[in-house]
Amino acid sequence: MDNGHRTLRSTIESLFARQVESFTGSADFQALERGSAGPGQYDAFIESVTRAHLRSPQLLAFLYALAPPAAAADIQGNLLEELGLDGDSGQPHPDLLRGLLAAAGLGCRQGLLEAQADEDLRRVVVEPLLYGSLREVGLAALTEIVAFEYMLSRVSGRIARALAEHRGLPASALEWFTHHSEVDILHAEQGLTNLEAYVRYYELADDEALTIVEMTLRENVFTRRYFRDFVAAGAANGWR
Amino acid sequence: MKLVAATLYALRIPFVESFSHSTRERRWSDSVVVRVRDDAGAEGFGEGSPRPYVTGETVESMLDHLARELWPRVAHREMPPADDLEAVDLWLPETHIAGALAPHASRAAFEMAVLDCALRRAGRPLGALMPPRRQCVTYSGVVTAGPVARAVQHARQMRTIGLRHIKLKVGFEDDVARVTLVREALGPEASLRLDANGAWTFERAVEVLTAVAHLGIAAVEQPFPRGPVEGLARLRQAVPVPIMVDESLVTRTDAEALLAAGAADFFNVRVSKCGGIARSRALASAALAAGVGVQVGSQVGETAILSAAGRHLAAALPAVEFVEGSFGTLLLAEDVSLESVRFGYRGEAPILTGPGLGIRVVEERLRRRAVTVLELTAEG
Repeated sequence: MDNGHRTLRSTIESLFARQVESFTGSADFQALERGSAGPGQYDAFIESVTRAHLRSPQLLAFLYALAPPAAAADIQGNLLEELGLDGDSGQPHPDLLRGLLAAAGLGCRQGLLEAQADEDLRRVVVEPLLYGSLREVGLAALTEIVAFEYMLSRVSGRIARALAEHRGLPASALEWFTHHSEVDILHAEQGLTNLEAYVRYYELADDEALTIVEMTLRENVFTRRYFRDFVAAGAANGWR
Repeated sequence: MKLVAATLYALRIPFVESFSHSTRERRWSDSVVVRVRDDAGAEGFGEGSPRPYVTGETVESMLDHLARELWPRVAHREMPPADDLEAVDLWLPETHIAGALAPHASRAAFEMAVLDCALRRAGRPLGALMPPRRQCVTYSGVVTAGPVARAVQHARQMRTIGLRHIKLKVGFEDDVARVTLVREALGPEASLRLDANGAWTFERAVEVLTAVAHLGIAAVEQPFPRGPVEGLARLRQAVPVPIMVDESLVTRTDAEALLAAGAADFFNVRVSKCGGIARSRALASAALAAGVGVQVGSQVGETAILSAAGRHLAAALPAVEFVEGSFGTLLLAEDVSLESVRFGYRGEAPILTGPGLGIRVVEERLRRRAVTVLELTAEG
């Protein structure tokens, strides 16, 4: 049994690693990091990151409701941190993102992004469920959250440096990224443990769990969220 | 009421993952969307997927045909009533594209847009013209081509989301092993059919189908390329697997020849391929009247617009064996409607009850995802 779960954990971790590699190796990411992206691309990236994470507390609250006993304390901790109630970071994370927008001169876009984030959430709720029970839905949601923690723990420092260097943002504006580069190393490790705990508690077979994880990660979740508009532009370039 | 403006959008929406069959690999949607506006300000949307190897249309020829042939002949003409599907079909002029079998994707896109516009103006759903006979439509999954290991992985995913009908792309050297392993991954309960996309010869079709028949194959689609129907009729007699026609069924003449020859057990009726909703319904009705089963098929990469049209058709037919499409964001990086048309667990999706096609298209997404946008006005 233990062997099976170790295999599942390492398989999931290698899927995460592959996604991070393909994300950071993408032309869009490279352009941001090297400073060859246009000003509009930096702005679009900042907006996409904001939209992707503005409603993270709600998502974590959903996962907290489904958390198996062994993972409940961790997920509760993450949720309190997101809400700025953990006593350390002090500020709710969505406020850090709003601060990022304002510092980037994109404060006027906040209303639209809030509405888009609400619509993203609404869509998740009204869209027909792909799976037969909340057990599978929860695993898919947890997989995506942990994948982001895994990526951010490895990449958010690089993103912060790129935005400071090539978009001229001050360190205070980049707190969301620097915070995640520090704390998500722990979160990512915990996240993998929580994924295992979830699979075990809800009695999913390893291959069943892996199938759901693979479905969740069948497209690059980071590219989809952070470069949502770049994808079309990139595809269009090769057409004619 | 008259049409006063139209906009054509040649889309380029990336796929979440590539989709392939025996002859093509697709990485993005290349549908053409038509938006029409009447003189009262009502709008309607339609979509066609040009396929050179099916109807002979390309994105370029479709845009040209819509802009130079169809639009000038309908602009500023009195529109047909919103309560008669056949009247809309008759209202649209018969046109041709040099070198193409039939301009069906163009016609389908236009018919759909006009219908959607007329129905929206009247505040009525398409279901008012084609009353649904079922409350929900059950979709099939499609296992794409590529390495066998990937096909098996896809089959497992489809089993996990409860799909009961699966189509597997075949037409490769490893077909027998491929079908065997996918059947194993699906389990014995799911219905499994094959689609060769015309990749086999008669002899190869007999060889593969004979070898896999014991695995319970519900049908094989387009075993060899479009051609004389006698070959299909002969295969139908030679193998214990029902035959479904797809590329061989584009026009009414095709349907008549196939039925007369007893060449098919199933018709794959697709709205874009068959020239619109009215003509697709007519082909399906002819099939059912002759005792031939019907699949309402789809176009790989179709957006919510074509999916909605297919959903209405599938819901309205007296009998439908299989339904495909409505993958939405399971395949597309982004779909174009406010509502999700994607099917859910077990492939089930509710009928659409809103005005027109029953979806609200977000024009901003069309513009953002288009590589070409053409604005047409009644003045030309």
